[in-house]
Amino acid sequence: MLILRDIRKSYRIGPTEVDVLKGVNLEVQQGELLSIMGPSGCGKSTLMNCIGLLDRPTSGSFMLDGVEVAYTNDDALSDIRNRRIGFVFQQYFLLSRLTALENVALPLVYRGDAGQDTTDRCMELLKRVGMEDRALHRPAELSGGQQQRVAIARALVGSPSIILADEPTGALDTQVGGEIMELFKTLNAEEGITVVIITHDPGIARQCKRVALMKDGGIVE
Amino acid sequence: MILTSNLKEATRSLLASKQRTILALIGIVIGIGSVIAMVSVGRIVQDEALRQFKEMGTDILTIEKEFGGGLPDGGGGRPAAKSALKLDTIRAIASRCPAISNVAPSVRGTGEASFNGKKLERSGPMGVTASFLAINKLSIREGRFLSDLDEQSRFCVIGSQVAAELQKKGADRVVGSKIRIGDNLFTVIGVTSEVPQGGMRRFEPNEMIYLHITTSLRVFANAEISSITARVSPGYTNTAARDQVLAYFVSLGMGSAVRITSPEEIIAQMEKQMQMFTLLLGAIGSISLIVGGVGVMNVMLVSVTERRREIGIRRALGAKRGDIRGQFLIESVILSLIGGLVGIIFGVGASWLIAHFAQWQFTLSLGAILLGVGVSNAVGIFFGYYPARQASLLDPIVALKSD
Repeated sequence: MLILRDIRKSYRIGPTEVDVLKGVNLEVQQGELLSIMGPSGCGKSTLMNCIGLLDRPTSGSFMLDGVEVAYTNDDALSDIRNRRIGFVFQQYFLLSRLTALENVALPLVYRGDAGQDTTDRCMELLKRVGMEDRALHRPAELSGGQQQRVAIARALVGSPSIILADEPTGALDTQVGGEIMELFKTLNAEEGITVVIITHDPGIARQCKRVALMKDGGIVE
Repeated sequence: MILTSNLKEATRSLLASKQRTILALIGIVIGIGSVIAMVSVGRIVQDEALRQFKEMGTDILTIEKEFGGGLPDGGGGRPAAKSALKLDTIRAIASRCPAISNVAPSVRGTGEASFNGKKLERSGPMGVTASFLAINKLSIREGRFLSDLDEQSRFCVIGSQVAAELQKKGADRVVGSKIRIGDNLFTVIGVTSEVPQGGMRRFEPNEMIYLHITTSLRVFANAEISSITARVSPGYTNTAARDQVLAYFVSLGMGSAVRITSPEEIIAQMEKQMQMFTLLLGAIGSISLIVGGVGVMNVMLVSVTERRREIGIRRALGAKRGDIRGQFLIESVILSLIGGLVGIIFGVGASWLIAHFAQWQFTLSLGAILLGVGVSNAVGIFFGYYPARQASLLDPIVALKSD
C-alpha cells in the first residue's frame, strides 16, 4: 500500500548541495507494524517528512494506495494528509487552547465534517485510548502520556491508511513509553491499523514486527 | 464547520492575548471613530446650512444685475442705454408676471454711519421697500418698518445689533435717535428682531441700517439696484416663475442683463460644496484609520509569528493554505469589526457633542454608520490579508520545528 522507489532528497545549504536521502526503497504492507531505526543525522526525519507528505522528494516515486502522490499540488497534499495519514509526534503537538475532544476533532474540521456524529466518533476514540474521562481537559491539564494518547486518538479519527509516529515515546519515561507502545501494538493487532514508528531507540524498534535500519541516507535492511 | 470553528478559534485567540487585542482595538476605534465623527459632522453642517436656507422659504427667486453682462449699452458704438434696473421696471414685475406675487428690490449703500459723533462698527446702509420685511421673513421688534409713504424720507430702521450698539454709545431710546450716514441724518423709526447668524440671506440682517430705496438712490453716489428678491405666487413652480420673469426682461430688451437664480440651483450648488467638504473631512479621518489598520496588521503579524507551531500542526492535520489564511483573516476582521462598532459609538457621540456645543441640530447619519461598518470590514481584510498570507505560506516542516 505504500511503496517508495529510489527516493532522493537534497538540500542546498549555501553553495553546497547536501544529499540527505540517497535513494530510499521501502514497501509497507497493509496491517504492518514497522519501525524505521537509525542514528540521528541519518535522514530519518527527512524520510518521515516525505512519507508524511510534509515535504516533496527531489526525485523518486512514492505510491500511496496505488496512487503516485509525491508531486501533486499543495492543496491535494493537504487533503491526502488529512484523509490517509495520521501523525503522532514526539512533542504531542496538541493545540493548547482546545480541549482534548476538540483536538481529536481537528482533522475532521478540515474535512468539513460537523455535528453530533463527529463528537460521537471523537468520544469513541478517546475511549479507545483510555482518555474518555479527560475529554474536556486542555493539554496543560494532562500528563505527557495522556497527551500522547489524545494525539493518537487524533491520528486515528480520520481512519487513515497509515499512522506515522515520529519518536512517539521520546519525551516520555520508560514506563509510560512502554504503555504507549502497548497501545500501538494493540491497535495494530486488534484492528489491523498500519503503523510506522520512527525511532533511534533499539528497545522500541525491537517491539515492532519489522525493523528497517537506516544508515547514511538509505535503508540498509 | 470550518467557518464556525474559525470564528470560535479567532475569538479565543483574541481573548488569549487581551492586552495586544485592546491596543489594536484602540487604534481602530480612533480611526473609525474619527471618520464617523468627521463625516457625520459634515452631514450635520450640510443639513444645518440647508435648514437655514430653507427657513427663508424656497419659493423665492433672486434676480441680480449681471455684472459685466450685456445691458443694452450697444458695445458697438450705439448710444448707451441707461444701464441700471429702474425701480418702476421692477415694481411692474409683480403685475406683469402672474407667477410673482411680490418683489423686494434692494440697494447697497456706502458710507460710514455714526451716532453722536461715534462711529458705528459693523453696520451698513441698505435701501429697501416695504415688501422687504415680509419676503425676507424678518419682523419688527420695536417701532415700525418703512412704508411706501416713506419715499424720500430721512427715516431708517435698524437691526438688533445696531440697536445694541446705539444703546452702548449712550442712546436712551433707540427709536427716535438720529444716525448720521455721510452727510445725512436719519431718524430711527424701528428695530428688527434678532435673527440667528449664518442664515442664507446675502446680508447680515442684525447689522443693517434700512433706508427707503428711493432715499438711498438719491443719497448715495453711484447707487443702483443690484438685487431683487421675488416671491413666487402660490400654485406656480419656480421654473414657471423664472421663465415669466425672464420673458418680461427680454420684452424690455434686457434679457441678458439679469441673472435669475432659483433656490433649487443654490441648494444644488451648496450640496455639491458640502459634499466636497464632507469628503475632505472623511479623508482627514481616514489618515487615522490607516494608522489603526497598520496596528491591526502589526498585531496579526505578531500573532502569526507566535503561532507558527500551531500553523504547522494544523497544516500536518490537513489544513489547506486557504484554511489557514481564512483563519487569520477572520481574526483580523473580527478585531476590526469590534473596533468599528465601538468606533461608531465614539464617532456618533463625538459628532453629537460637537453639534450640541455648536447648537446645530443633531442628525444621526445612517450612511456614516454603514460607512463605518463597511470600512472597518475593509480595514480588517486589507490589513489582515498580508499576515494571513504569510501564515498560509509557511512551510509546514519549518512551522512545526519552531517554538
